Amino acid sequence: MLSRVGNTSLVKLDSLSHNNIEYFAKLEGNNPFGSVKDRAAYWMIKDGEERGILKKGKSIIIEPTSGNTGIALTGISNVLGYKVEIVIPEKVSNETKEIIQNLGAKVFETSDDLCPKVGAGTDQSIALATSIASSRPDTYYSPNQYANEANFRGHYEGTGPEIWKQTEGKVTHFFTGVGTGGTITGIGTFLKEKNPNVKIIGCQPQQNHLIQGWRNFEESAKPDLFLKREHVVDDWVSVDNDEAFSVVKEVFEKEKLLISPSSAAVYACMKKYPIEGDACVVGIFADDGRKFRSVYATQNVMTEEEFDNTLKEAKHMSELAY
Amino acid sequence: MSESTEKKLDATGLFCPEPVFRTKIAIEKMQVGETLTVSADDPASEDDISRWVTRTGHELVNMSKDGNVITFQIKKVK
Repeated sequence: MLSRVGNTSLVKLDSLSHNNIEYFAKLEGNNPFGSVKDRAAYWMIKDGEERGILKKGKSIIIEPTSGNTGIALTGISNVLGYKVEIVIPEKVSNETKEIIQNLGAKVFETSDDLCPKVGAGTDQSIALATSIASSRPDTYYSPNQYANEANFRGHYEGTGPEIWKQTEGKVTHFFTGVGTGGTITGIGTFLKEKNPNVKIIGCQPQQNHLIQGWRNFEESAKPDLFLKREHVVDDWVSVDNDEAFSVVKEVFEKEKLLISPSSAAVYACMKKYPIEGDACVVGIFADDGRKFRSVYATQNVMTEEEFDNTLKEAKHMSELAY
Repeated sequence: MSESTEKKLDATGLFCPEPVFRTKIAIEKMQVGETLTVSADDPASEDDISRWVTRTGHELVNMSKDGNVITFQIKKVK
């Protein structure tokens, strides 16, 4: 099953392609546990094993996360034989918590009133995971995706070369959001080594956004992993919640894809960013829309009934290993 | 209050915020009126635990120090 991590499909977006410009989506939902985070999780666990920090039957992996990384780490650890504990903000959707629990991880929920001095949301989870791991260094291993170089390498050695090969070296523009910075710096660094003229474009959500997994750098700090290679980003595009949610239905009608909020945000950025001349544009669709039934109903994107019908008709949906 | 309703939590050797987190979990599992005795040796726990107790509306019956170890007696109020 772990051989299924990576090598995701690249599909042409006919709704955006015109004249001499071709647009493609890299469908990371095709990974076995349903998102781009399978790559970071797999590379971080392998790295922990190679460095002798992770020992089968003894080590417990603990990680603060708001979703996909928890699902990926737990799923992959099940296959490799590690116990997992996930520290998650209590306000994360029940759908996500249930998936992680059903996969077998112990879930600790943090609330903002626990220790206000460390900050809110995932900052509470990061503080608790760090404190649990630091008092029992022989048992616990916290990969910490926000600073782990293996997260970068998964994209530099995996996703970047895949995109280069799938576009036969023709890629001219690359779009993605930023959470840890692993995706944008890993792929960006690789593509620029192949062709320094490739434009790397980061997508920035509004403050108080609803794009799970992304960071707005006015309200959240830039992660260490991103800061190390921030220079690969040539340009930024801003996208607000409405712009992102408004294209979900459009993409289904035109492409038969049921996409996640972050994929919708990337699509909206690609759609509005001005590009002239011959171009080959690639955007990361980090996961598909499967987990967002309640979110789309709440945001008036589609009713739960419409969602179920859309799910039945959608193409390229993930074949999940859980 | 009888001895049988007194619960203990040893959080020595743990770093904040874990002692507060363990306290919260223990209190959630108790009945109203029961008392929890927590011992911790991370100096930050003095502020963290006493503030959490106040914020969440429980009662800090007593707090004492013996060397590095701080002992809290917390009564579940609601």
